[in-house]
Formats: sequence, C-alpha cells, structure tokens
Amino acid sequence: MRNGLIVFSTIAVLLLSGCSQKKPNANVSNAGDVVSIDESSVNGAGGMSGGMNGSSDGMKSVFFDLGDYSISSGMQNVISFDADVLKGKLSGGKVKLEGNCDEFGTDEYNYALGLKRAKAVQDGLQAQGVNASQIVLVSFGESNPQCSEATDSCYAQNRRVDLHLMR
Amino acid sequence: MRYFLWFLVTLNLFAVDATLKIEKDVESRAKMAVVDGSSAAGSIGDKFFNTLISDLTISGHFLPDSTHHLGSTESGLIDPMLKSKEYVLKYTLSQANGLTATVKLYRGTDASLLATKEYNIATVEKYPFLAHKIVSELNDILKYPEVNWLNRYVIFSRYTTAKRSVIVVADYTMQYQKIVIQGGLNLFPKWADQQQNSFYYTSFNGAIPTLYRLNIYDGSRSAIVTSQGMLVCSDVSQDGSKLLLTMAPNAQPDVFEMSVSSKSPRQITTFTGIDVGGKYMGGDQSIVFVSNRMGYANIFKQSLFGNSVSQVVFHGRDNNAVDAHGNKVVYSSKESQSSFGSGNFNLYLTDSSGSDTRPLTTSGVNQFPRFSTNGNAILYTKLLGNKSSVGYINLESKQSLLFPLGGKVQSIDW
Repeated sequence: MRNGLIVFSTIAVLLLSGCSQKKPNANVSNAGDVVSIDESSVNGAGGMSGGMNGSSDGMKSVFFDLGDYSISSGMQNVISFDADVLKGKLSGGKVKLEGNCDEFGTDEYNYALGLKRAKAVQDGLQAQGVNASQIVLVSFGESNPQCSEATDSCYAQNRRVDLHLMR
Repeated sequence: MRYFLWFLVTLNLFAVDATLKIEKDVESRAKMAVVDGSSAAGSIGDKFFNTLISDLTISGHFLPDSTHHLGSTESGLIDPMLKSKEYVLKYTLSQANGLTATVKLYRGTDASLLATKEYNIATVEKYPFLAHKIVSELNDILKYPEVNWLNRYVIFSRYTTAKRSVIVVADYTMQYQKIVIQGGLNLFPKWADQQQNSFYYTSFNGAIPTLYRLNIYDGSRSAIVTSQGMLVCSDVSQDGSKLLLTMAPNAQPDVFEMSVSSKSPRQITTFTGIDVGGKYMGGDQSIVFVSNRMGYANIFKQSLFGNSVSQVVFHGRDNNAVDAHGNKVVYSSKESQSSFGSGNFNLYLTDSSGSDTRPLTTSGVNQFPRFSTNGNAILYTKLLGNKSSVGYINLESKQSLLFPLGGKVQSIDW
C-alpha cells in the first residue's frame, strides 16, 4: 500500500511537472560586481618612469633586423661602446637590458624575440668583459615603441635593446 | 541610434567573413521572431533586443527576424504575420532589483506555450549577460547543442601608452566592459578556473616579470612565480591544477609545466631558439607550441612525457600563434612575404596530425585564436584597414560575427 502510494505520488509529480511549463526564476551566474585595481601610482614597468625610450646613462641602444636576434657587424661597435661605459659606471651595480620589437608578430612570440635580442647583447657585453651576474634581462615585446609611424625606418627604431643602469 | 549604427557596422563586417569557405545551410536553422513587450525599458531596450538577435544568430540554431516587434507578452496570441515562424520569443524587461526579463517561448504555428521563465541580474550595466543567459537556456530547452560560451567573460589586455596597459573583462559582444587593472604594465591575462573567478597575468612592474593570480570578485591576489626575461601563463589544465608557462630562467624562452600546488616548474622544451605558447592538447597529455626551430615561426607538438617533437603545420612561413582543444588545432598564418603592414594573417583549422586543414578567415590581420570551452567556437581579433574587431566563428554552424574593438589588444582569453 505504502509502495503504491509512493509510485502514485512519483507519477503525479512527473505529470504535474510535465504539464507546468513555469520554471523557477534564474539569476545570471556571472552577475557579481567585478573589482577594479588602480596601479597608476606604480612607477612604470621595471621600476623606471613609464614611457622612457632608448638607452640611458650614456649608453646606446642596439638595433636589429626584422625578425632577427643576431648582432650585425654594424652593431658590434655599439656593444663595444656600451661595454666601455659600463666598465666605468657599473661598479658593483647592475645593468638592465630591455629587449624590444616592432608591432609585427603576436603576443608571446614577440616577447621571446625581444628576450633573445637582450640575450644577444648580454653575450656581446660578456665577451667584452662585463660580468654576467651584473646583467638583468627583460623583454618588453612591442609594448615600448620608440616610433609609431607606419614606415620602415620607424619600425626599425623599435627593434632594439635599451640599456639602463639599475638604481 | 548609436547602437543601431554599431549593429550596422557589425553586419557590414560580418559580410567580410561571410565569404568563408564554410557556408551555412540556412535551411537547417529555425526561424524565430522576437517580440518585445517592455513598456519602459529605457535606453537598454534596443541594445537588449539587438543582443538577443546576435546571440540567436551566432548560436547557429536560429534564423532570427531582426525586426524589433513590439507587442503584449500577456496575451498568448501570436500575430498572424508571425505564424510562419517556427518559434516566437516574447519578453518584457523591467528595471526592478537590477534588471529582470520575463520570457515566454511559443511555437509560431499553433501558439502553444513551450516555456516561460524569469531572469534577473542585479547590475543593470551587465544586461548583455542577461540576454546571453536567455539564449543559451533557450538552446537547452529546445535540445540544441549547448552554447554556454555565450555566457563567459572575455578578458584581454590592451596597451594604453608605452609600457602601460589595462586588463579588461567583457562579455563576448564587448558591450559590457570593465577595467580590472589599470596603470603599470600588466599583460597576458589567462582564466585560472572554469568558473572564471580568477585569472593569471604577468606584471612587469617589478625588477623581473612576476605571475600573479587575481580573484575578480574579492580582489585577493597572490604572486605565483617569477622569471628573468619573460614569463607568460600560456594555458591552464582542464582541472586548473597545472599551468603551461613560457619562462626564461636562463635567458632562454622555453615551455614549462608547473603544478599550482608545488609551484615547481618542469621544463618541457629544450630548443636553443624560441619555444613559446604551449597549449594543452589531447586530454592534457601533450602540447602544441610555437617554435622557430625551422628558422621561422611554426607549430609543433610534443608529449608531456617524452622529448620527441613533431611538426604539425606544413604550410606558411610565419605561423606564430596557436590554440588547441582535444585534437583540434587553430593557428594564425601570415599569407604574404611582405614584411610590413600589408601582410595578412589568416586563421586555419587543422588537427593534431596537421591533416584536414581549412581556412577560417580570408581577409585582414586575424590573430589570437582561442577555442571556446566546448571547442565548438573560436574567438579571435581582426584588424581590417584601421578597424579592429573581436570575432567569433561557430565551427558547428559555420556562423561568424564581428564586434568593434578599440585599441591595440596585447592578449585575449575567454
């Protein structure tokens, strides 16, 4: 008798739910308020002032061909120049090499390309006697253009490694 | 008016990708009319209606009538002009406790009521999510394949000035946008969990790049790992327990896998050139990634339990972005040898063995391809002339849509 009642009740519930087309209210799942964090007070990427372009502290930037991360013969002299500057100024401090790219290529690949460029300059500086432990590398990909015009010469200015003393 | 213009732009841009080789069988889609019974929905009324139409279209299961029909939702009667539609969706919007939509679904031919439901969202400016939820559930009610990706947040980083960026969360149409992090240089956002409560991103604001995890609802943030040179969270395993990272601890960019609990990266690739962009594939047992080991950027795969590397893509000379879902692979390929602006990038769909390759786009610079969680749709960015857009391709229905997107996107995920 009890089992029969359960079966009847189950069938009744199923029939009623089938007849009723009204569904309960639904809240949208991703409706919550999203936080907003302001880091405008941050002193720019890498602890340097935002928007800084080119090298500082008397050093020169090293430039690269499209999609390339090898040091051209014309840039060897620039690396020698920078190595001489560093020997005079580096003392016990560190130098930061920032790899940069033009806007061609996509996200991760461009950042890797910038890093390989910085690494190539590091190797060049090491060969000139700069201690590798005093060199820090970072790639800024295409985030730090020195020139924003759509010309070949402009794009070439963005394929570079900048050098800065870390303070 | 502004929204109307936006929709026209959308339709116009959509026409660009309508020339895809993947043509839609229009006859297979259900004709639907949408009737708005709102008396005072304010400025959101038109936007909400157009969002419903976009959702119905990209779902691939409906052929919606774009006419903004007005009429009572109280009556069960169907306008004789709409009797030819397979379905008629009636709704009313009210701005009480945020935004509430009461929805009724009828069969057009006999006016039978198929479903009725009420939806609410507390924050009015998130109204697109209300429309997305309605359409995704409509698919479920009518037993069509799920399109829950409509409901997901899109997250992207955008450059503002040199060494400055913002990270933004948005709905897939970009009508809702909110800046989560502004100021500094914060890049490569990647969702950390299926629920989209948290995301990973790389901060370049310290001496070396640092990967953080941020909860978008409570703002809690924790540093995960650091690396000299570069650091990117390229992918998250399905259960969220492992990450694929591009790191360069020795100034050499390679793909690493890291357990979230141990935070101890394990090196996967060992090439002396560039290996980046690892994506889980085949049940998280292997990866695809981008490498220049052939002298140019191309797509390769490797087991997570072995060192053997195989080439996946056999065409193009600059294939520098990839994503995977199961055994499906989508990649971006440069179409010409032109070094500068005129070079187009198109998206191609292939499988893990590189066979059955077909183009998905035909014009412009198409980048950042990302599969939806069910693998049936692809998000990407398109630059055509000076207009940038975010696009979606429904691989099942062969539908595509574009929505205007301002600024230069650095990376995107959904």
